[in-house]
Amino acid sequence: MAATPVSDHLLDALVASLTRRTATSQVVDDADAGRATARWMADAGVARAVLPRDPVIARIDLGAALRREGIEVIDWPTSLGRREVLGLEGPEAVCGVTVPALAVAERGTLVLEASPGHGRGLDVTSRHHVAILPAERIVETLAEALARTFATGGPVPSAVSLVSGPSRSSDIEKISTLGAHGAVSEHVVIVR
Amino acid sequence: MSTRRQRSAGGVAYPDIKGTLHERTVQALGDQTLRTNLETAASSWAAGQEVMRRDHGMDEMRARAREIRRRNIRDLPALLGEMQANVRKAGGQVVRAADGAEACRYITGLAQARGVTVVAKSKSMATEEIRLNEALEASGIEVVETDLGEWILQLAHQRPSHIIAPAVHLNRGQVAEIFRREAGTDDVPDDREGLVAHARVRLRETFAQAGMGISGVNIGVASTGTVCIVENEGNARLVTSQPRIHVAVMGMERVVADWDDAAHILQILPMAAISQDAANYVNLITGPRREGESDGPEEFHLVIVDGGRGALRGTEFEEVLSCIRCGACLYSCPMWRSVGGQAYGSPYSGPIGAIITPLLEGPSSPASRDLPFMSSLCGACGDACPVGIPLPDLLVRARARASSPATRKSAVAFRAWSLLLRRGLTYRVGVVGWRLFVRVRGTDGWVTRLPGGGAGWTRVRDMPARWPPRR
Ligand code: SF4
Repeated sequence: MAATPVSDHLLDALVASLTRRTATSQVVDDADAGRATARWMADAGVARAVLPRDPVIARIDLGAALRREGIEVIDWPTSLGRREVLGLEGPEAVCGVTVPALAVAERGTLVLEASPGHGRGLDVTSRHHVAILPAERIVETLAEALARTFATGGPVPSAVSLVSGPSRSSDIEKISTLGAHGAVSEHVVIVR
Repeated sequence: MSTRRQRSAGGVAYPDIKGTLHERTVQALGDQTLRTNLETAASSWAAGQEVMRRDHGMDEMRARAREIRRRNIRDLPALLGEMQANVRKAGGQVVRAADGAEACRYITGLAQARGVTVVAKSKSMATEEIRLNEALEASGIEVVETDLGEWILQLAHQRPSHIIAPAVHLNRGQVAEIFRREAGTDDVPDDREGLVAHARVRLRETFAQAGMGISGVNIGVASTGTVCIVENEGNARLVTSQPRIHVAVMGMERVVADWDDAAHILQILPMAAISQDAANYVNLITGPRREGESDGPEEFHLVIVDGGRGALRGTEFEEVLSCIRCGACLYSCPMWRSVGGQAYGSPYSGPIGAIITPLLEGPSSPASRDLPFMSSLCGACGDACPVGIPLPDLLVRARARASSPATRKSAVAFRAWSLLLRRGLTYRVGVVGWRLFVRVRGTDGWVTRLPGGGAGWTRVRDMPARWPPRR
């Protein structure tokens, strides 16, 4: 992926879009990212976090930071059974962590790609969703994000999820209610 | 396994629907709760459309969306071939089904061969159209709808009233009642948050058990063989990631050429459908899980359904194939807003349903012949459609197609009418005569019953005996 220089314009636009989608976000420095993320999870009452196998997670040493806050750490891929992954067994306050391949500033959309280190469903099986986003991965438009993900000529990922805010349903009286099937809350830690 | 096109024998309209279209309409009009619920939904959608137009340039996006979809339909055979090849290249299987019965046979056979006992489904109009649930259940397979609205309807044994918001005709109290009955306990909360949480837990049990997930497809992208599934709740992702097998059912017209096309359609779809510039989740799936991946289905099957669609290419109705099933024309339609989708007796209601149901059924079907008349031709649907389908024109053409010798009488009447109106003298005499007639006929300023051919008109409305009418 070609690195885009971090632009304040894109960063501000993304933060505004995420707010509009009822997601929360914070912008942190690389050195502070692990600690800040762990603090956010502790405040949200998270008991267990499932982490993808990703260089960004390793770089900010998120596992160690979480353990210091007393949060249980499970590494993906996990030996947990399907019932436990779905939260039917084990602690309820589980947080799925993702590292988006890209984020779309104008719509607050995260682009999650499946791969051996990243599950397809961590952000929907868990109660909470925290995304660790390197700031240089922010692009302006959806068209740009899709072109980068798919128009490569090479093999495309088996599954790409565009996630724009926490799960919701408007099926009852057309009023948006959070936490239908997926995460009740979405928090994006933007690392620069 | 590609098959030559045949005329669908199954049909689209529900076979077990009760009463005539007219009876169902009258009944729906008398249901005050229904009308309130529909009106609430439609006006919140309409307010959102204003925002989409003002802040997100929706009107400017329509022309390009129309151009894309018309081109896709023109190139359809080639795009389907490309789609098919690319899905296979990604390790998936593709089946072309001439009609619903063939699609159902394939999916049921697959489920049986793999020993599947529970199927988790996400929302799909194509599966509703081919009546897949009934086919699976007839083979002893349990099917659970996991979209909240669809699940509510499944529990209540009702049909969807809107293609995007299927349970929009029910209010919170009615939903709580349905959940209590299913759970066999009064211990179900009354508030929306509580109801959503209740469904979440119940349906997770389904995801833990299901051996097969079945989804629809909003669009297929030919250049990579990717299916796009748009949703807000997250259930479609669970359906496509938890069970061992994923079956995606796609109407054959839903394919676009490449990611340029897809990006535009994926943006305008949620704008028109839910008045948002993005849906919460868009799942872009290319084949089954790959080597080394630890979740996602091991098998991916794409079932492409013709069901009478292919025969519409090259006809005066070709443009209906551009439809992206956003539901905007439903909300915009004063007729739909008054009676809801269930009265139509078809999974597809509103203006688009009134046109395509009889087309997919074949011209002689008594179940859907009258549907094109479910419109006042006000034109609102044409303005609402994000892909610029000329719905009012097509409604008129669908009426002409439905008109049989039985309606010759009205042709004569209209001829006489036009003669009367074309000359100044006969027009004025007619107007004076009519005024006198209604004034004599009316009571308290209103005519409640007209004789002869006018009787149908006054059955559900009154006519003012003078202008302006007195309230
Ligand atoms: S006809 Fe147009 S407005 Fe109606 S559902 Fe299809 S795309 Fe939407």
